Amino acid sequence: MRVELTGVGGWRHELTGCLHVTLGALLSFHGLDPVEVLGANWEFSHVPGLLRREEYFLPGEHESLLSGLAPYHQVSSRWHEPADAESAWPEVREAVAAGRPVAVAADNFYLPFRPAFADVHTNHLVTVYGFDDEKGEALVADAVPPRFRGPLSLADLSAARGSANQVRHDRDMFFTDNPIGHRWLDIEVGVPRPAFDQEFIRGVTASNAKRFRRRGATGYVGLTGQQAFLAAIADRLAAGLGDAVDEAFVVAGPVLAMTALHARWLASAAARFSCPQLLEAARAVDRVAHHWTAVRIIAAAGRDDLDRAARSLSARAVALASDHERAISLIEDATADLA
Amino acid sequence: MTSAGRFTPLDLDPYANCVGIEPACRPGAGGFNIWRNTFPAEELPAGGSMVTVGAVPFRFPAADGVRADNIRCRGQLVTLPGTRVDWLYLLGAAERRTEDALTVCYAGGACRRQWLRMSDFWPETDQWFGELLAYRTTVMLYPQHAQDRMAPSIWRQRVPVTVPDGAVGVALPDNPAMHIFALTLLDEEAS
Repeated sequence: MRVELTGVGGWRHELTGCLHVTLGALLSFHGLDPVEVLGANWEFSHVPGLLRREEYFLPGEHESLLSGLAPYHQVSSRWHEPADAESAWPEVREAVAAGRPVAVAADNFYLPFRPAFADVHTNHLVTVYGFDDEKGEALVADAVPPRFRGPLSLADLSAARGSANQVRHDRDMFFTDNPIGHRWLDIEVGVPRPAFDQEFIRGVTASNAKRFRRRGATGYVGLTGQQAFLAAIADRLAAGLGDAVDEAFVVAGPVLAMTALHARWLASAAARFSCPQLLEAARAVDRVAHHWTAVRIIAAAGRDDLDRAARSLSARAVALASDHERAISLIEDATADLA
Repeated sequence: MTSAGRFTPLDLDPYANCVGIEPACRPGAGGFNIWRNTFPAEELPAGGSMVTVGAVPFRFPAADGVRADNIRCRGQLVTLPGTRVDWLYLLGAAERRTEDALTVCYAGGACRRQWLRMSDFWPETDQWFGELLAYRTTVMLYPQHAQDRMAPSIWRQRVPVTVPDGAVGVALPDNPAMHIFALTLLDEEAS
């Protein structure tokens, strides 16, 4: 039997990673625009105890990965954890045969199309959109460079999904030492699907601003929590605690992606409704994203000089907070005049 | 010197602190980023040579895969010759796009901020700040291999100097995601 599902897009935003591009691929299959759905939300929420060493980690507490990314749409996702290696492929095959592309967690060390093949272990996410029983192949899509779309032997896929993801050398960083466990994920898309209209834009941005100004009962939530998180990381770096490097890098990645994608979402709205003020707000959000680029690399490059990283991060946090407040203010001003 | 003014390519070797270019035959010593990816030297100009990118001359770094060939921006102060400067032209790239202010320092003790914006070196990623593509290699180096289908970029960016006279230095931002391979000054009024 051979199945190849059509309609799985190859969308990618350049500041996102496998979390966004894979869920974007699944959303596009259901006829949803990845930017409209994944770009609406902009928040900060992180609970240190929930940190996971995965490229597709999303900080904070969420009912599901997708509903956390896209709280303004009737979408959700569900992780499946096969009982053993023998049932791992049949479960995915059954879903795809039924017409549903799915995401599977995989260690790049075993994926021949990834640059990390036979070199670096990591916890990645790819889309399975078909299979060929006779050839013993799955059809896999991955829009993270180098972009790939095509057949992958079931033997390679099984090895990648069953990897222990162990640390073997000094480049096995951040997303290693977390067994893959053959996990796979599918999504549910419900109704109604909100129109990308001015009322929706105004409602979403008002909600985002409100949530940035709240305080959480646990963890780091909102603007206050964001600053507390950066201050805590800087304090730990200054105290010589190298694990702060990992936490800062793993959290900064998805925050950077979410921020940049929200800027793209605002820019789309600005174009749709001929609103130059909203375009200016979008640019201000991009500036915040560019701070997160720096945060990410300050942390990553800081392992050799933790004290220097602490000082850089402290200074960056001040500038980030100021630009973040300005971006929210510009969004509020721009959306006030929308219908 | 051209009809458009006088270019002064600078030697950035004294400031370089990162190995971002290596021979494809022996990758692994350098590290443009933390994963120790580098650009292949064979696909870039000879180390220390003069190159022209978009009608602007640059001194390409003396890259040999061992010595540092680019500045990872950590707030370094680059000394300028003190002549008139209307534009700073740079060859560089970032580990994901980013922007920050650099500071132009003047002989009289004043300083003025200007925006330095830099697009991503990562493959399959276009410029974002309007830069000119300077170089795009066909492979990217990993510590154990040269990876095809991964084509990283170096961009040509420029920064205006709004008060051109008496600039004696440029303080780079403290943003380690930014890398500068070459820097050339332009005096637009020189004949």
